[in-house]
Amino acid sequence: MTLERARKLAEALDSRTDRELTEARLDPPHKVLSQIRAYLLRRSEEMKTRNNLIQLLRFHPAGEFAQIDLGPSIDKGATPQHFHSDSGARLSFGLTLREVERGSQVVAYRYQFVFPDGQSPQYLRFDLNEAPHADPLAEPRCHLHPGIDEVRIPFSVHNPIEILDRIFFVLEKAT
Amino acid sequence: MPEFSTEPFFDIARRLDIRGETAWLAVLSPAADSTAALDQLQTELQSILQRPSRVIQLEHSTFEELREALHQPDDDAVILSSGTGLKQEKWRSLDIMRSALERKGPVILWLSPGDVANLTGYAPNIRSFIGASIFLAGPDSGIMTDAERQERLNELSQHFGFTGDEAVRRAEARELPHEPEFVEWLVLLGRGDLL
Repeated sequence: MTLERARKLAEALDSRTDRELTEARLDPPHKVLSQIRAYLLRRSEEMKTRNNLIQLLRFHPAGEFAQIDLGPSIDKGATPQHFHSDSGARLSFGLTLREVERGSQVVAYRYQFVFPDGQSPQYLRFDLNEAPHADPLAEPRCHLHPGIDEVRIPFSVHNPIEILDRIFFVLEKAT
Repeated sequence: MPEFSTEPFFDIARRLDIRGETAWLAVLSPAADSTAALDQLQTELQSILQRPSRVIQLEHSTFEELREALHQPDDDAVILSSGTGLKQEKWRSLDIMRSALERKGPVILWLSPGDVANLTGYAPNIRSFIGASIFLAGPDSGIMTDAERQERLNELSQHFGFTGDEAVRRAEARELPHEPEFVEWLVLLGRGDLL
């Protein structure tokens, strides 16, 4: 009975996530790319770190979709393609947008922040899946991995810049 | 025409950001798709400078209209577009009103290739505002190359242990997970239609 209730609540949460995503409008993909690049440039300057944003951020428009990537699709250790903080932390992400009239919608994202060596948890990953999972309790559509791939904690939908705010103004401060 | 360096709009906006207010520079518009390029320049200016940007067409603006437009407001980023090119008389009259062009916010002259000679010959004072800061509009080097796309596809295939064709087959059968890595995979394969 308790498990059934938990699943219903998880389904309701996924429905709210779906509504929020449908209603939210971002600028067209190339403008979102420009905004993210400018945002990361500011953070890099504040940290006095050298991150070549024009090289790190990769943009791939494909029909009505656009992919914005920073760093590898799968984090298997530090690479020159990551965004590096002065603390020793690193960031990679992938963001998929769908172009709609006068703007775009978020389809999916993955933001992985890896803390400096020796910190626990080792990483946090913010994921937004493209569609609900059959078991929304185990895998909410928008979730956070607390350093464990198999654990997914529900997380509210954030726009691409808001997630970066959490990463730089919250997580980075804890390094 | 002298050689000018090619710079992406991101770098051009960065130059203005570093120089601070009252900065001037000129950009030679690309021959093809100038309207889209102008839109991209505006986007980068807004993102990097964190202030609004406007385009003012020089050809059809009277002295009074231009002065008013430049000073109301006077702190946003303004792109003065010469359109398909200005006549010598227009450059002369702009040069005479040079002091009225000075403002707090940055100014970008958006020129057609033929404008540079006329700017130098008939608007020497405006030319001096710009100095050596004339650039050719360059492509955005943030666009993923084919080699980079292939590298990412290989990385995904190796990590998950099946090919892109198999990913497409699973997506068609509604068996591909909905996680962001698989979404990226389909988009990079040009199969966003399966989402």
